[in-house]
Amino acid sequence: MNFDAVGAAAAEALTLASFIGIGGGVLLGYVVGVIPGLSRSVAISIAIPLTFYMSPYIAISFLIGLSKGTAAGSAVSAILLNAPGEASSAATALDGYPMAKQGKPKTALQIGLIASVLGDIMATIILIFVAIPFARVALLFGPYEMAAILMFALVFIAGLSGGSLFKGLAAGGLGIFLGTIGLDNQTGLPRLTFGYTELMDGLPLIAVAIGTLALSEMFVQSERLRYDRANMAVTLEHRPDDRITWPIMRRILPTIFRGTGVGTFVGALPGLGPSVGSFMSYGMAQRAAKEPERFGKGEPKGIAASESADNAVIPAALIPLFGLGIPGNVSAALLIGAFAIHGITVGPLLLRDNPELLYSIFAGMILASLIMLALGWFGLMVFAQITRVPPHVVIPIVVFFCLAGMMLQGYGTFGLVILLGFAILGYLMKKYDYSFVTFLVAFIITPMLELNLRQSIILSRGNWAILLDRPIALFFIACTVVALVMLAWRSIRTGKPPAGAPAD
Amino acid sequence: MPRSDFWSGLAVVAFGLLALVWMIPNYAGSNPFAQMPPELVPSIAAWIMIVCGGIVAAGGALRMLRDRVAPVTVHIDWRAIGWAIWPFFYLAGAIWVLTMVKITWAGPILIAGMLVLLGERRWWMVLGCAVVPVALLYVLSVYLMRIGVV
Repeated sequence: MNFDAVGAAAAEALTLASFIGIGGGVLLGYVVGVIPGLSRSVAISIAIPLTFYMSPYIAISFLIGLSKGTAAGSAVSAILLNAPGEASSAATALDGYPMAKQGKPKTALQIGLIASVLGDIMATIILIFVAIPFARVALLFGPYEMAAILMFALVFIAGLSGGSLFKGLAAGGLGIFLGTIGLDNQTGLPRLTFGYTELMDGLPLIAVAIGTLALSEMFVQSERLRYDRANMAVTLEHRPDDRITWPIMRRILPTIFRGTGVGTFVGALPGLGPSVGSFMSYGMAQRAAKEPERFGKGEPKGIAASESADNAVIPAALIPLFGLGIPGNVSAALLIGAFAIHGITVGPLLLRDNPELLYSIFAGMILASLIMLALGWFGLMVFAQITRVPPHVVIPIVVFFCLAGMMLQGYGTFGLVILLGFAILGYLMKKYDYSFVTFLVAFIITPMLELNLRQSIILSRGNWAILLDRPIALFFIACTVVALVMLAWRSIRTGKPPAGAPAD
Repeated sequence: MPRSDFWSGLAVVAFGLLALVWMIPNYAGSNPFAQMPPELVPSIAAWIMIVCGGIVAAGGALRMLRDRVAPVTVHIDWRAIGWAIWPFFYLAGAIWVLTMVKITWAGPILIAGMLVLLGERRWWMVLGCAVVPVALLYVLSVYLMRIGVV
């Protein structure tokens, strides 16, 4: 390990600018997370334009802090409203809401916060110790291996990110098709630009991300308003016995450790999102409990299991991103866009070309976790008030910021029209259960996949036998075929996906 | 569900065919000397859409036959459809307005209009929600990002 770089990273993380940037990200994430319906990916896609004028370290740490903040904040609405801020906090609501109804909302919130922070810090430490050796090995990979791994990741995500496999693959196909728009990187000629010079650089990622994630979600929410305007908020009162105590803490600690392990494992696999992690952890905690019948009735272990896994997924999802350059979920895919905006190629090359930045980001992630603990602990009652904001007030403001985000980046009417187009596409994909996660990941990795595929074909001169000398590439091609066959067989036989939760 | 699978699958197949028959031959370009021609990846993507969309549509059709469900229905809730699609028209109108007026000026009206349409009637709430985000954007763009009023 390069200790000079580590020391420099720690020093950079302790500057005032770093505190303000990361603290701002966590605070914003917390507020967004508390509001039901505003998800992590929505927050990141809207916030990317804000990072334009930040340094790369602050920008990425700000976005990761935002991501961590939303995960912790979503527990607040799950516990107080029984309306999870994110799908991944739905498991938290199973025990958090009954506990709040029993007159212990503050205890439930504190358990959620501590589980979130501990899960997050432990997963970040695992990320640091795993991602670097992973990236060192990945540096030995050539275009054959990268093309094979990217194809495997795409099939895996399509199969596991909710909805049916074939709908996921169809969405992936659309993502690949739209990802090829722009100048062809070998001939330099325009491809599928239909004569529009604005499309020479391809479809703007921000328009695709904001339209598919944020704007479409607002349209879904506004439609839902017609049917569901009920508010089931729990009122917060100051009661001396309503706080976390050491006996409770001692009871939930093993559950937090287990939840962190589950969350880290699930997060490191592309396609499985925090929802899968939190429900898997909840189920394991229930099975391991001496009195499983207490789950669902306000059991502290239920909250701890769900929240620790939910938050552990976020740093763990960065293992394939930093190690291989492959985004495991939408948030990681959006981070690739943010890195690209700052002229940085994320992946194993980051360790070779810019190790200081990588170590600074790790230091920033630890700092974000600590800020999250402080903000959550002292601001719990304030954040709880945000749950009172009705959704019909949030929707127009988010729509406005979506439009403003596009305009801040200098996109004119053309960009806004593309934004509207992708908002309609995202709405239809959500409505008809086509995986927008697969679509977005496919859209983002297509240039990388095509480049590696092209290099492989040129290097091999069309001779497929060369793959016999590349065992890693061969292994991932075999894995892709096996995964495709198994997922297709399971999808046809049961009519259901193996995992029905969005990998957000 | 089978009905929506059927129609959405057909839509995906139709788009894939459109891409394969019209878009790629006319707009993807070609390079006969390249070992990997520029139309290869878009063509693979189009085939993925055709095959997978076809499977989804076929699955929907089979379930419709099994459950004796007609592919179309006369029971359409037009009010629900209207409620679902008005935000898209609202946004299209807003984009048209933004071609003429800067977002800092049009923003408050855009937010206020949508708030009222979503059912908010408290004037102070409408005013606050319309003005505060735009003021934040103004401060952000003019004083922090120094790119002028957008």
